[in-house]
Amino acid sequence: MTLLLQLVYGLRQGLPESGKEWMMGQQIEFALRQSMHRVLVVLVSFLPGLLAFLVAVILFALVGAIIAIAIRRILTTARFDERLSRGAGSSAPASLFEWTSNQPPSRLVSRALFWLCTLVGVAVGISAFGASYSSDSQVPIFLLPYLTHVIGAVLILFAGTLIARFLARSVLISAVNAQLQYARILSLGVKWLVLVLTAAMALDHLQVGGAIVSLAFGILFGGIVLTLALAVGLGSRDLVSRSIERTMERPGGPSEVANQRPADAQPPRSRLRHF
Amino acid sequence: MQRASQTPVAMASPSSIDGLGVPQEVAATERAVHAGGSPRLILCVPSLPEEVLPGLLADLATVFGRDEVLIASPDLEEPEASSVLPLTVFDGTRVRSDWVLTAGDYAAANELAQRHDAAQVILLGADVCALPATAIREMADRIAGGADLIVPAYSLGAHDGLVTSAFLYPLTRALFAANIRFPLPMDAAMSRRMVERMASVAQRQTASQPDALLWPVAEAAAAAFTVYQVDSDAPTPIPPAAADFNTLFVSVAGGIFADIEAKASFWQRSRGPAVAMREIPPAQRTESGDLAEEVPGMVEAFRLAHRNLQEIWALALPPQSLLALKKLSIAEPAAFTIAPALWARLVYDFALAFHLRSLNRGHLLGAFTPVYLAWVASALRTVTDDASAAVHREETAAAFEREKPYLVARWRWPDRFNP
Repeated sequence: MTLLLQLVYGLRQGLPESGKEWMMGQQIEFALRQSMHRVLVVLVSFLPGLLAFLVAVILFALVGAIIAIAIRRILTTARFDERLSRGAGSSAPASLFEWTSNQPPSRLVSRALFWLCTLVGVAVGISAFGASYSSDSQVPIFLLPYLTHVIGAVLILFAGTLIARFLARSVLISAVNAQLQYARILSLGVKWLVLVLTAAMALDHLQVGGAIVSLAFGILFGGIVLTLALAVGLGSRDLVSRSIERTMERPGGPSEVANQRPADAQPPRSRLRHF
Repeated sequence: MQRASQTPVAMASPSSIDGLGVPQEVAATERAVHAGGSPRLILCVPSLPEEVLPGLLADLATVFGRDEVLIASPDLEEPEASSVLPLTVFDGTRVRSDWVLTAGDYAAANELAQRHDAAQVILLGADVCALPATAIREMADRIAGGADLIVPAYSLGAHDGLVTSAFLYPLTRALFAANIRFPLPMDAAMSRRMVERMASVAQRQTASQPDALLWPVAEAAAAAFTVYQVDSDAPTPIPPAAADFNTLFVSVAGGIFADIEAKASFWQRSRGPAVAMREIPPAQRTESGDLAEEVPGMVEAFRLAHRNLQEIWALALPPQSLLALKKLSIAEPAAFTIAPALWARLVYDFALAFHLRSLNRGHLLGAFTPVYLAWVASALRTVTDDASAAVHREETAAAFEREKPYLVARWRWPDRFNP
């Protein structure tokens, strides 16, 4: 390379201006050709790995689809959904399948199997991808561990979003049924708490940001908790004061009330009887 | 007293739980207590305070003969002690419910019936002392006369048993053609085959949840068993004081929706309307208009729910129901009315969403609670005394019958547009 530079420099000294321009064009062209060659070499070494990855994913996805269809048919024949709903009965709301799904359990099982196979395919593909590289290549050393981190972060985000939505709805419904005026704020607060926590976990998993993420997460989390505490505290001020007043007005004061048996402490009877 | 179905059908051989955790020698000892002949009727009473049981037995002794009935009570430790009591009592029952009968109670009743080869079983709930002995006797007579299930019809005030009036009774009447006022009974008399059927249903439940609610009236209707109800002036048993309304409501509504889902193939077949039922006058007259002052607060609570739960309701309800709820949310308290037809459609929509799992079932039932409370507010405006309450109950149940095709159509074709 040094020899080449010396040669070019020597030629420049002895050539007229037009010759120098011609030499510069040649030099640029040479540099471009070289870089193109390097990129093509990288791509050629990259493509078999990518192809292996795609083949593995498609193959396992196909196998997963076949297994899922077969399992679905078997479960439908065995009346799996009906048996499960009969078995769950009134405990159905607490069932495993109640978490997020709006699908029958048989479809959930078949889909879970499909995605399991696809994930196995992704894992096999990544392994094949790594194996297709030569050991002196710098790309897999950087890419492969990071790819697994990316997949992990995506899974964390997915689970976090589901949990955030579930908890937000639970809080919203419970708060509305408790007739809390700030139900929406409470629900949004819980949702963003979980989302912020999830985002921080995902970024931490990706090893992005380092201490900044932890610091930002702490500030955001603390801020949301403080906001919620203020909202609940201010909103429930009357409720709490009424509750304390009721406790103080009972004969014997709060300490005596606390010592009473639950059977003695009769709550005021509602005039409406729902049951 | 009404007959829901006139044609008893022989059911398949039920699952046997004979000898379930009961040593043979114990069963032999208990049989020896009444060696003079096994009574055909077992009467299961729950655990009662020490001073109450003798009084109850004395009451029962006025309507039952000594060898006519075997009383199972958990309060008597020594079977021999039964000789000093007016009726034969032994430590047998495992009725644990503190409100309505649960899966565990039916399973325990079947176990007793098998051990003692009883032809009929009467299960009495926690509020047994309020039920007159004559009503229990009538239940025993009816069941001995060949009926499969007898449940008492308690006295219902204008503002009592609102959940039952709102959708438990109308749904049972419309879908199962069983005109039984209390489909979730606190006391029940059952034939042997009925108790065996209930036990087989309970057996599937007890592993996961022994206190699961079962629906014997719907079960009897599905099996084409005969169901009657017996008039009683006993007040409707109240749920335990510690029970939270929201939890109880979700449990009851979820229970009946799950039962409707399980018996979809039965109720989708066309069947005639239920036989008309005589209204039982309540023991205590309701004060007129004493709850009207609560309506504005309840309307405000519904508006709060409407502001916050629209997106959740949108997952479960069709556009026309959402529109109706929107109109309701802007109505003044003086004009806050849910028409029976609208209420029937709303309940059917929630039952369908429960079936389709449009959203998490816990969330769905939680979102159903404010809609039910809106119906209560509407009912408070309409119902002022016992007579208007009876009319309102009848209108509601009739609306459920009229709107049944809506449920059937949506159940079969959920995605089809229903104007």
